[in-house]
Amino acid sequence: MNLLPVTVALAGLLALWELAIALFRVPGFVLPRPLDIATAVMENPGLYASGMLLTALEAIGGFAAGAALGFGLAVLMVLFRPLERALVPIAIAISSVPSIAFIPLALVWFGLGPVSKVAMAALAVVFVVLLNTLNGLKRPDREAINLLRSFGAGRLGILWRLQLPAAMPAVVTGLRVGLARSTIAVIVAEMLGAYAGIGQIIYQATVQVDALHVWAGVAVATAGSLLLNAVLVAVDRRLVWWS
Amino acid sequence: MPAEGLLALRNVWKRFHSGGTETVALHDVDFVIEPGQFVTLIGPSGCGKSTLFNIIAGLEEPDGDGSVLFQGQPQRHRDLLGKVSFMPQKDLLFPWRTVLDNAALALEIEGMPRKAARQKAAALFPEFGLQGFEKHYPRQLSGGMRQRVALMRTFLFERELLLLDEPFGALDALTRSMMQRWLLEIWARHRRTVLFITHDIDEAIFLGDRVIVMSARPGTVRCDERVDLPRPRSGEVMLTPQFLDVKRRLLAIVEEESRKTFSASA
Ligand SMILES: Nc1ncnc2c1ncn2[C@@H]1O[C@H](COP(=O)(O)OP(=O)(O)OP(=O)(O)O)[C@@H](O)[C@H]1O
Ligand SMILES: [Mg+2]
Repeated sequence: MNLLPVTVALAGLLALWELAIALFRVPGFVLPRPLDIATAVMENPGLYASGMLLTALEAIGGFAAGAALGFGLAVLMVLFRPLERALVPIAIAISSVPSIAFIPLALVWFGLGPVSKVAMAALAVVFVVLLNTLNGLKRPDREAINLLRSFGAGRLGILWRLQLPAAMPAVVTGLRVGLARSTIAVIVAEMLGAYAGIGQIIYQATVQVDALHVWAGVAVATAGSLLLNAVLVAVDRRLVWWS
Repeated sequence: MPAEGLLALRNVWKRFHSGGTETVALHDVDFVIEPGQFVTLIGPSGCGKSTLFNIIAGLEEPDGDGSVLFQGQPQRHRDLLGKVSFMPQKDLLFPWRTVLDNAALALEIEGMPRKAARQKAAALFPEFGLQGFEKHYPRQLSGGMRQRVALMRTFLFERELLLLDEPFGALDALTRSMMQRWLLEIWARHRRTVLFITHDIDEAIFLGDRVIVMSARPGTVRCDERVDLPRPRSGEVMLTPQFLDVKRRLLAIVEEESRKTFSASA
């Protein structure tokens, strides 16, 4: 992947940002200078690093659990079609409510610690992976399935040799959307109630009307999600190795 | 070998029901295939050729009226799955498998360990003109090569009866005639029984020991013609009076049936 264009664009954006502040004399509480934000982070690296680490672990843990659950359920559903007919409408109903809406419940059920965040991250990813995987598994047409049947393949052989590989591009789409949703869910949950984590840092700074540190928290969170996304892109390439 | 040949179809019917309307795809199809024969099947589009293959491959059940006998044994629904090697109309190569792994697919399904399956498939690559392409992916191949991979996959599923559904239908004329001659060579060496669907009269006569012409839908056997041209056959054979004689006769029938299809759909 060529990182040059995005690096140039980012540098240009930051330069424009600095320039605009100098030109229009924007006060720091409205929009701080990028350099000041970076300094704010560097003055207290331990706080931001440990906050981001916790947030990332919660997001990854919940994402992995939710994605595995969604994937597993989808596989079960294609093997037992009645299960699909029974559960998919419910899945669609739940997933049409923004998962963020469940945060207060999660905090009541699982407390202010990491468990509620992991649960929210899992909830944010499970349905999108479930529905995408299900669609992917059903993608092979009758003719391809018939080819394998003519070679004597059974249900599991067809699943393993045809449906699973054919589903991978759809699974990857589900994972990408799911990861973004998981990170958002964790950060918002931390803002609404937590002992630590980057969301909590942003919330604290907001309460203290400390715009600079709100920005610092947002900047660290953005960098963290970008990193998570890069890891996922590498994983995706292994899942869809042929294109 | 029993009197019924390798494969016998007796009064085979197939009706499809969808949305309250009935489509009769096949009616009273009746023929016998002798072992080692190369039989070509020709008929207008939509006359039920692919449906017939699906029945012979065990993928689709014929209606209760008739019966399918394989090696003298009556076959019930699904009995034939895994017993004949079937090449569908589309090549259906899997984009995630290399050419080698696509070719070895049937062997793997039969339970052969992957390594052995690959070895066995690799041995056929020179003969199929695909040497050096083992590690390629299907999207990197030309249409003619894809078709050869699909054929190799079918060949490696070693069954007495081969069903080839318009394997060269999508190829240009030049590639097509090369592939025809090449297929005859392979067939001469491996000697399997072949049932071959085509839209092309020249192809049907050039390849076949026998040409079965199907009627417009509902499909049935309209005529069953022996082709006694000597083998091995070269392209020249298409210019002989004997060839042209058979062609003239078949052309009249095929055109008549195609016209029926055309006016029925117009
Ligand atoms: N599963 C099905 N349900 C309903 N109708 C079907 C089904 N399969 C085939 N048919 C119908 O049966 C008829 C025969 O189809 P078939 O695919 O066997 O034709 P064909 O001779 O192979 O045509 P072509 O030469 O275009 O490949 C067609 O009218 C088709 O619409
Ligand atoms: Mg067909």
